[in-house]
Amino acid sequence: MKGFGSALRSGLQHLGIVAIAMGSLPGVAIAHGAHIQARTATAMEIQATYDSGEPLAEATVQVFAPDDPQTPVYTGLTDADGKFVFVPTAPGNWEVSVRQAGHGDIAVVPVESEGAIASTFTNDAGLSLLQRGIVAGAVTWGCVGTALFFGRRGKQ
Amino acid sequence: MHIPDGILPAPVCVAGYAIAGGMTWVALKQIKKTSDSQVEVPKAALMAAAFFVGSSLSLPVPPVSVHLVLNGLLGIVLGWYAWPAILIGLLLQAILLGHGGVTTLGVDAVMMGIPALLAGQLFQLRHYLGKSLPPKVSLGLFSFVAGAFGVGLSALVFFALVIFAIPSTLEQSTEKSFLTALMLGHIPLIFLEGVFAVLLCFFLLRVKPELLER
Repeated sequence: MKGFGSALRSGLQHLGIVAIAMGSLPGVAIAHGAHIQARTATAMEIQATYDSGEPLAEATVQVFAPDDPQTPVYTGLTDADGKFVFVPTAPGNWEVSVRQAGHGDIAVVPVESEGAIASTFTNDAGLSLLQRGIVAGAVTWGCVGTALFFGRRGKQ
Repeated sequence: MHIPDGILPAPVCVAGYAIAGGMTWVALKQIKKTSDSQVEVPKAALMAAAFFVGSSLSLPVPPVSVHLVLNGLLGIVLGWYAWPAILIGLLLQAILLGHGGVTTLGVDAVMMGIPALLAGQLFQLRHYLGKSLPPKVSLGLFSFVAGAFGVGLSALVFFALVIFAIPSTLEQSTEKSFLTALMLGHIPLIFLEGVFAVLLCFFLLRVKPELLER
């Protein structure tokens, strides 16, 4: 029994040495490990559409932080609905540029300290079809009026 | 076809304004030279309305959607007056409809105005090159070529400007593949505008042929 006890002790000692040696090895030995950390952050979703309301799908998005308008912090493509999500990490005016084949727009989104969009921000969604029709009608009538005015002057 | 704000670098926008300014001066000088410059104003106003409304009508050419430009037609009917008509039309489109942009107004004017003026000159060539043809054939041929040429050249300038101005931070291949699709989408439009010009010229020939003579 005594012999078995000492054999067990020496075995455990060896195991301990191996474990200490493995733990003290540089990072290479444990590089297979991966970690995922989770925390809550306020994300912002943008949606890009054409005038017709059709989504600007697979368009290139560039997001610029308030302190650097030259280098984009986030880049990517919009999804099939023209949507793109990013996390503004600092308060200030974030610039979002969406473009595709020479079309696109730039939006400046004011972000407050908690990561929320400033309450003063208005999302300009452009004109509705009815508004566009009224504008087109007004301009056409303006041009027809001009034509009639100069036409009459010409006849006199 | 309109280039909105934020697509082109600032020097290109400034150059666009400089060229557009010079062209406006030349066009107004040429208009002043005519004996009664106000006679053409009603025609120019009506064509400016057509140009303004034309860009609001989108034509679905899968996988993209294009819209009428009508700049070749304006060049045919208006000659030098096409320039101020296009400039005013573009300004109203940018301010009221959000088509194009205010910073890119100069570039857009050059892109659509100069092809319009060239199309007008091309149409006038029928007096020399189309002499041997029957008058109706000559009118049809030259109006088609001029109408198609106006929008075709504008489309080429558009693609050249956009390709030249792709920032290095963008994924070039994605942008280029979408540009290719848009370029192919413009081919039916070129034919359509050519046909449109022929129809209008034949209509004017029947109802008011003096409108075609300058």
